[in-house]
Amino acid sequence: MSTGEVKEGFICPLCHKDLQSFYQLQDHYEEEHSGDDRHVRGQLKSLVQKAKKAKDKLLKRDGDDRADTGSYESFYYGGVDPYMWEPQELGATRNHQDYFKKHRAARIDHYVIEVNKLLIRLEKLTSFDRTNSDVAKIRAIEKSVVPWVSDSDVPFCPDCGNKFNIRNRRHHCRLCGSIMCRKCMDFVPLPLAYKLTSGTRESLCIPGSPGQSQAPPSGAGASGMGSRRGSLSSLSSVTSMLEEKDDEKIRCCHHCMDTLLKRQQKLEERDHMPDIVKLYERLRMCMDKVDEKAPEYIKVAESLNAGETTYNLDSAGGLRLEVQKYYELIDALSKRILTLGMKDDPAPTPKSLHLQKMIRYTATLFVQEKLLGLMSLPTKDKYEALKEKRKQEQEKKLQQERLVRRFSSTHQAAQESMRKRQESEKNRSVATTNGEVPPAPKPPRMTKAGGWLPSADSKKTHSELKDPLLQQIDNIQSFLRQAREAQRTDEVAMLEENLRQLQDEYDQQQTSLAIALSQKLAQEENLQQGEIQRLEARERSEWEQRAPAADSRQPSSIWECSLDLGEPVAGYVEEDKIGEVTPKFERSPLSLRAFPALAGQEESPPRLRSLGGHVTPPSSEGPNSSSLNPFEEDSTPTEEDPSNPFFEDIQEEHKEVSNGKKEYNPFDDEEDNGGQEEPAATSLGNPFEEESSETSNPFTEASGDSPGVSTNPFEGDEDAGALADIDMIEEELLLQQIDNIRAYIFDAKINGRLDEVELLSANLRELQHTLQEQKKTH
Amino acid sequence: MNVTLAVKQYVTRMIEDSGPGMKVLLMDKDTTSIVSMVYTQSEILQKEVYLLERIDSQNRDNMKHLKAICYLRPTKENVESLIQELRRPKYSVYFIYFSNVISKSEIKALAEADEQEVVAEIQEFYGDFIAVNPHLFSLNLQGVARGRSWDPTMLARSTQGLTSVLLALKKCPVIRYQLSSDMAKRLAESVKLIITKEYELFDFRKTEVPPLLLILDRSDDAITPLLNQWTYQAMVHELLGLNNNRIDLSRVPGISKDLREVVLSADNDDFYANNLYLNFGEIGTNIKNLMEDFQKKKPKGQQRLESISDMKAFVDSYPQFKKMSGAVSKHVTVVGELSRLVAERQLMEVSEVEQELACQNDHSSAQQKVRRLLRLPGVCELDAVRLVMLYALRYERHSNSALPAMMEELAKRGVSEKYRKMVHSVVEYGGKRVRGSDLVTATDAVAITKQFLKGLKGVENVYTQHQPLLQDTLDQLVKGKLRDAQFPYLGASSLRDRPQDVLVFVVGGATYEEALCVYNLNRSVPGVRIVLGGTTVHSTKSTQHQEVLVLPTVLTTVLTTVHSTKRY
Repeated sequence: MSTGEVKEGFICPLCHKDLQSFYQLQDHYEEEHSGDDRHVRGQLKSLVQKAKKAKDKLLKRDGDDRADTGSYESFYYGGVDPYMWEPQELGATRNHQDYFKKHRAARIDHYVIEVNKLLIRLEKLTSFDRTNSDVAKIRAIEKSVVPWVSDSDVPFCPDCGNKFNIRNRRHHCRLCGSIMCRKCMDFVPLPLAYKLTSGTRESLCIPGSPGQSQAPPSGAGASGMGSRRGSLSSLSSVTSMLEEKDDEKIRCCHHCMDTLLKRQQKLEERDHMPDIVKLYERLRMCMDKVDEKAPEYIKVAESLNAGETTYNLDSAGGLRLEVQKYYELIDALSKRILTLGMKDDPAPTPKSLHLQKMIRYTATLFVQEKLLGLMSLPTKDKYEALKEKRKQEQEKKLQQERLVRRFSSTHQAAQESMRKRQESEKNRSVATTNGEVPPAPKPPRMTKAGGWLPSADSKKTHSELKDPLLQQIDNIQSFLRQAREAQRTDEVAMLEENLRQLQDEYDQQQTSLAIALSQKLAQEENLQQGEIQRLEARERSEWEQRAPAADSRQPSSIWECSLDLGEPVAGYVEEDKIGEVTPKFERSPLSLRAFPALAGQEESPPRLRSLGGHVTPPSSEGPNSSSLNPFEEDSTPTEEDPSNPFFEDIQEEHKEVSNGKKEYNPFDDEEDNGGQEEPAATSLGNPFEEESSETSNPFTEASGDSPGVSTNPFEGDEDAGALADIDMIEEELLLQQIDNIRAYIFDAKINGRLDEVELLSANLRELQHTLQEQKKTH
Repeated sequence: MNVTLAVKQYVTRMIEDSGPGMKVLLMDKDTTSIVSMVYTQSEILQKEVYLLERIDSQNRDNMKHLKAICYLRPTKENVESLIQELRRPKYSVYFIYFSNVISKSEIKALAEADEQEVVAEIQEFYGDFIAVNPHLFSLNLQGVARGRSWDPTMLARSTQGLTSVLLALKKCPVIRYQLSSDMAKRLAESVKLIITKEYELFDFRKTEVPPLLLILDRSDDAITPLLNQWTYQAMVHELLGLNNNRIDLSRVPGISKDLREVVLSADNDDFYANNLYLNFGEIGTNIKNLMEDFQKKKPKGQQRLESISDMKAFVDSYPQFKKMSGAVSKHVTVVGELSRLVAERQLMEVSEVEQELACQNDHSSAQQKVRRLLRLPGVCELDAVRLVMLYALRYERHSNSALPAMMEELAKRGVSEKYRKMVHSVVEYGGKRVRGSDLVTATDAVAITKQFLKGLKGVENVYTQHQPLLQDTLDQLVKGKLRDAQFPYLGASSLRDRPQDVLVFVVGGATYEEALCVYNLNRSVPGVRIVLGGTTVHSTKSTQHQEVLVLPTVLTTVLTTVHSTKRY
């Protein structure tokens, strides 16, 4: 542990201050950040970023600061080591907006003048009482609106080129005065004319009142058009509209008609807002809300699950309910969008169906991604127990660390003063009752000290479970440093990737743990240990293979020390160090059997030379290529069972259009506000439910859970499985599960993965069955 | 200097500029490829882009509630389609982005068509190239040459592509080109012309050492594209055909339905990203590890989840499980198919001989081995022809040439005349007469020593002993030792220091072996950033529809070149 050369070890994960030694860092941490609210994920992330930054410095040997390291996380850089390359700004662009607008403006002016001219004339033509006037009078008015082209000037129809004669007579366009033949002539029906002219009036004077099509025009409208129109009586139009007659139309040419129709289309579109837009806007609003609330909730829940007292349990429950409600809304809204217009007579176009499908798909992805990160809250009693436990754990941890420090720090010059300081801190931390004792500040150690981490609701078991993983992170970090010292860039990259994976794994574990409570623990333990063994084995074997020299460089004494403190784990790690790679492979006979071709390569060093003999073509074994698909291997060929009521249920739910009474319908919920709220909530896994049932017997819980003995409140639950409150929880869980599985089924169906659908619906059936049995026992 | 990021940033900006609301992305054939290389569907969906449409597609419906983002190359046809679109707009607002410089007159024509005032934005975003990897781009151009000179339209397109890369990366470079190639020179001049003409565009912040653009010609190294490659990406390209990150597996025997076409994108596939540049042997090991990972994560007793906790665990891990199982089955299938093809075509043996031909100087052993392979029934037609080509290129003027005998063998095997002729075409394309550099035989003392040392040390891996000529060229370039006589500067400016940012463009196409070599250089030489590009990236993809024999694109290049020579 030489100071100075390896920077990433001594950077404060919270304020990114670079400190010279472990002790300074610890001091700094305890002083500066003892009260801060900590968030594992954030810390790990910043730790990684910091480490990368430090690496940057080492590689580039100049101190230029990166403005935004965060943006790097999200983007993959192929092979090129991105940290050697500058951050990249947006490439060159050139804007043609001004030039474009200049030319468009000229064109638009022309176009607008054309349209307005036509509309004004149209208005004049429709403003008088057509029905009660005789033909000559109408003709005179029409001619006054626009001068007619004289017949003698136009011997042929300008559109079709036919000669005019007695049979093929000339007709004048009432809007522009031009001449065409009967065939090339068009008519503007009067209703359309009224609509057009009234539309102009509205858009000019009273925007946003689509209902009043015959609203009196406000003469005060500053434009010349508006005032002219203001002089017209709208009364006459009303009367003429009521008395419809056959020849209630105005002659005009194709060109004028075209312009008018375009205008009409535009007017219609302006007022028309399709249902999908309304629904979509609400959907996005919900998504935004979730984006806003979910992180807030997760923060609160993590803190509560860790036994911290920063937040109130009740308000957290409310928040959870709120977030869940948004998810339901999203689900319901996107379903509505999906089925929009399905029953309409002209079925929606394939494109709009596609659009609807994509929106639904996106919403599903969104819910899947975010909802699963939503951990549950502890009940009141559990919360109390957690708080107590956390306090104890922290004290223990602190003492342990102090021990370690004492052992390992003999060579430190500042040792004496440090110890004094620690002593005083110890006193201080004992005094704090709320469990806000700071964690061990040295970053690698800190990640190891799983005790204070959120969702560490059952620490005893967890420390066993987690330590290997965290230790592995530590190990890798030390390997990283060694590799970097040896300037093995490729190894560094590999190790970093490894580290990242581990940290991801760790994060994931944290989340899932919080959700799954401790029922899952035993199972998960096996799983993770296997995972870690594999990782370690790989790590070891790679290390041994590639750099046997590096192996001799054992992790420094500090690491050894901390390993020993990991109690049961240390032995296991030791064993692993000695252990060969091959036995690991034997432990997974399943994979070997399923993939003979690949397994053949197992021991071949990554060299092509030796590979030659090992690669057996899968084609030589007939069924092999099909068994390569892990899904087919496991899928049970149960047919979709139509007799199953629940299966139908699901299908119905997907097709659900009219069936607005489904439990999910958000609008129902909203309308009957309070009344509906409670029952709906209970069926949807209301955390309050859990709570209230718990509170009925708070004392049994609390007493049975003496802090010294079984520190895991959840274990207690498991033992007392017969208790009614547990059933309640399970029932609630069941309901949640059923919802989830339904979503998965739907997703699987969309993707056409039938085998999964079967599997899932089988699960669903079982769940439903269990639920019913539960209900019976009540 | 990251081309993938450059394009991605452009696309992201376009989408962000259009604000919230449902969007449709209107593209042409080329920009569809460009965008699909940097964005996946789920990614783009998250940005509210729900529909992807071609501007020239006729069956688009009126959907006024959508905003349209148009990303188009500034071609005549596209501008015409866009004018039609604006006359009768199908969407509410249009945000128009051209992938290259567009003329004022075309802007004017568009402006006049926009009577309904639906255009909200009209800009140039210079993503006019296909970003294959962060340091590798392609223009997807085939048959760029007529004889030994450019097809004029191809020259224009290459110039556009290359200048757009420069603009996207904000580089205004000093240009060097390969003296022996007229095409390289023409392209260099053409690029220079654009830089001069659009000087305001190329007005970037000056760096201490100006960036360098090096233009090379494929004919200088015709051997590299003829060799079988062993890295994952290259193998997938060569053996399966990777087209815009998609591979078609429908020909694989017994393939399941959802694996007919799979997407391989380093962006969202960690396994692929980590194994792009690893060789086949390493991939075998890694895929086994992946499998084991998967086996462990797989919920136990999938069919029967006994307790509620089982179910809960299953549901919790389900999304990850599904994602992982998708990745596993995909890669297992791909690698399985690759190893099937390797065995079927006896590629191990073929490759060994190829490498010996390319790297060693033992005529009698080489020709014996080639002839032995030619007699093996398992070796496919294409590989046989390739071996003879390599031999012909390598021992072009050997006094004891066995070429006629080999040609006879080919004929005996029933290789069609067309392919047999190509052996001569290759020599014509990349033979000694054409080459500007010493591809096969070392002349100067240093190189001879190097070769000697290499012989002493023995080869680490027989299948990857070949180093492309580009490796040498770039080594020298990075050290500042590249000879001006062979690679002159265009214009008066020249580089005094060692270059830092280097853009290499290969007329006639780059290869994955060269991409790997650039990748390694980038990682091993600090302070130097190299981006490789080519008129195309050589692989089988461009000709995958030819049924019987799949030709590597270099052969297509050779074919068009040589055939048109005859025409002239």
